[in-house]
Amino acid sequence: MHIIIIQIGVIVLALTFRGGIHIDDHKTTEHCVITDMPAPAVVYIPVSQHIGAPCIPTVHPGDTVFRGQKIGDAEGLTCAIHSSVSGRVRDIQPIIDAMGRKTNHIVIENDFKNTLDPSIIPFSKPLAEATPEEIMQVIKNAGISGMGGAAFPTHAKIASAMGKAKKLIVNCAECEPYITANHRLLLETPQFVIGGTLIIMKALSIEEGVLAVEANKANAIALLKETVKDKDMLCVKTLKTKYPQGDERQLIYAIDKIEIPQGKLPADVGRVVFNAETCSKTYRAFTTGLPVIDRIVTVDGDCVVKPQNLRVAIGTPFSDVINYCGGLKERPAKIISGGPMMGFAQWNPDTPVIKGTAAILVLSSDSVAKQVKNSVCIHCGNCVRVCPMHLMPNYYSMYTRKGLYERCLDFDLMSCMECGSCTYICPAGIPIIQHIRTSKAKIREKKNTKK
Amino acid sequence: MDLLKVSTSPHVRGNRTTRTLMLDVIIALIPVFVWAIYIFGVRVITLTSLSVVSCILFEYLFQKLNHREITIGDFSAVLSGVLLAFNLPVSAPLWLCVIGAFFAIVVVKQLFGGLGKNFVNPVLAARVFLFISFPHQMTTYVAPLTYPQPWKISVDITSSATLLSQLKSGVLPENISFADLFLGRIGGCIGEISSLLLLIGGLYLIARRVISPLIPLSYLGTVALITFFLPKIESAVAWEFMLVELLTGGLFLAAFFMATDYVTSPSNPKGRVVYGVGCGVLTVFIRYYGGYPEGVSFAVLIMNLFVWYLDRYAKPVRFGGESRGKK
Repeated sequence: MHIIIIQIGVIVLALTFRGGIHIDDHKTTEHCVITDMPAPAVVYIPVSQHIGAPCIPTVHPGDTVFRGQKIGDAEGLTCAIHSSVSGRVRDIQPIIDAMGRKTNHIVIENDFKNTLDPSIIPFSKPLAEATPEEIMQVIKNAGISGMGGAAFPTHAKIASAMGKAKKLIVNCAECEPYITANHRLLLETPQFVIGGTLIIMKALSIEEGVLAVEANKANAIALLKETVKDKDMLCVKTLKTKYPQGDERQLIYAIDKIEIPQGKLPADVGRVVFNAETCSKTYRAFTTGLPVIDRIVTVDGDCVVKPQNLRVAIGTPFSDVINYCGGLKERPAKIISGGPMMGFAQWNPDTPVIKGTAAILVLSSDSVAKQVKNSVCIHCGNCVRVCPMHLMPNYYSMYTRKGLYERCLDFDLMSCMECGSCTYICPAGIPIIQHIRTSKAKIREKKNTKK
Repeated sequence: MDLLKVSTSPHVRGNRTTRTLMLDVIIALIPVFVWAIYIFGVRVITLTSLSVVSCILFEYLFQKLNHREITIGDFSAVLSGVLLAFNLPVSAPLWLCVIGAFFAIVVVKQLFGGLGKNFVNPVLAARVFLFISFPHQMTTYVAPLTYPQPWKISVDITSSATLLSQLKSGVLPENISFADLFLGRIGGCIGEISSLLLLIGGLYLIARRVISPLIPLSYLGTVALITFFLPKIESAVAWEFMLVELLTGGLFLAAFFMATDYVTSPSNPKGRVVYGVGCGVLTVFIRYYGGYPEGVSFAVLIMNLFVWYLDRYAKPVRFGGESRGKK
């Protein structure tokens, strides 16, 4: 009985936003301990894995590289890249990456000696004596970018929030179905996440940090609460399990009931949000000096023989990861990089894992949405009800189908963040997100030709 | 591992389809149907099935003859058929039903492009069409628990006055049993008599999130408020007058099942409230001052015409929008 009362309490009291959808969360891998996958024979490391300028390779074909050695960097808004194996650079060649862009990849042959770059050493000073500039430099050198998906360079985010942010929120919502990488990270190494949080808070001179976790990760919430008990600066908040709870805007609204005005950043309302794994990688960069050369990837889907959570070297082709998990049970319909709501369907199973790859999902045709022919909008308004940005997606579809792209702007098309809730809920099976992307692209195209 | 599918996200979808939504509405109407059989006899089944079959047939034939995709599988024609029968008196001749189905499906729905494109509710348009063209057949109501012959094309029965027509002539009858009113032991159209069962069906749809509670609430609320504070018959007790107005005629059927028709109602919350209030005001206005005792069909049809503008001008304030920007 008391369990039921607690459950109801969690549902009523959990923090959330208006709109959004409840999805069958498929968190089948939540009990799978993170295991290390050995690095493959060849890794393909793209020079651009994030928002911002692509890196300029600092190595040449034929060079010998160490594990963790910087192999690309650039000035401005960008993130350094590092070799995830030791070995020889075979080539630098353009390949289509997980986001569908043609990018130069540095191809490195693994010598399986695992020789670590000798320059990798822990941060020399105690944290209390570190200056914000030094902290940002460590983060920049370690090539840390947002590990949640959007992959914004972390040092740039810290710089932009400097002096503005009063509260740091660690995004442990993980609202996408299937993915449990952050959940396992919180359960297995909470001290890494909390340590990284404290480092970033120190850099930004923030006194208040919130670890925001969705209610479906009750064991992680309990563990985190226990771990931060003696730290006054940190608290753990339970969020309602709902998609897209992990979106920055919805997350900040759920916790503080503040709506970020259109066109503004979280820092403009005094908040800054970091993903749990970003914090964990920050902590590791300080304590060991290791840059981002691996990440935790949830491998799941009904076609995978043994779904699990793996620590995968950056640049490992998806096919190697899937084979490591026992290969395929049946013929897949889609291989998705990321979650099923916002992830990218891959055309090539050899696409390499990058810093933003939280999951590799291999789904059969039974699990993926089927295309509906001649879908007709019945004006039911479900898309309006679930839209977390409070827009009217039904009109985007209507106007896009008629080719009246600019009319979508009457309904604030550009505020759409493409979370896919409308398309998920649509009873007619209309590919609303497809329409939204078409209209956005057409409007941008027209703007560019005018200039 | 060849031939992977590539498409934009999201890659999963919920299990609701147009067909399941329509089925949910049909399920919600089953208690009303059963009650109507108890009150009016087997002729209810005859009329309803004839109406459903005609609607499906007309949709099929129209699409076949015009070389369009056959969409009878979405069950919207079935639902139209059920609702059309529910809007007829049980004494209606069988051919009336077929004419109504033709008007609803072919003239109002298909000629404007089929499901999702009609700008007024097909069933209500058909009802009004029949009402104006065949006023005698459409207003011959039988007393409850008198059963007309089930199979005869037209039946001869003595018409019993409805409460609404008595109200129209300025009399609130004494000794009204509100239990009978609420349960539906009264005369009227097949599907409109039992407010209780319509309410249960409506609550089922709201609980299943098939319809939004905003339209029924604002519609019924508006009618209740106006009739309570401005009763037409001043000598009547205000709340008695209000209850009679609420529980008679097609108000509950319209509020839960007709005004909430997706295609012809606004898709945003604010628009839905304005639409519901508009329906309420017009219903009472027509009942008070119009030529007919019942105003529900006209009220909803008129509000149908405003849906496009309600959608455009009552659109929700976007997240982080100007008018709500805090701090």
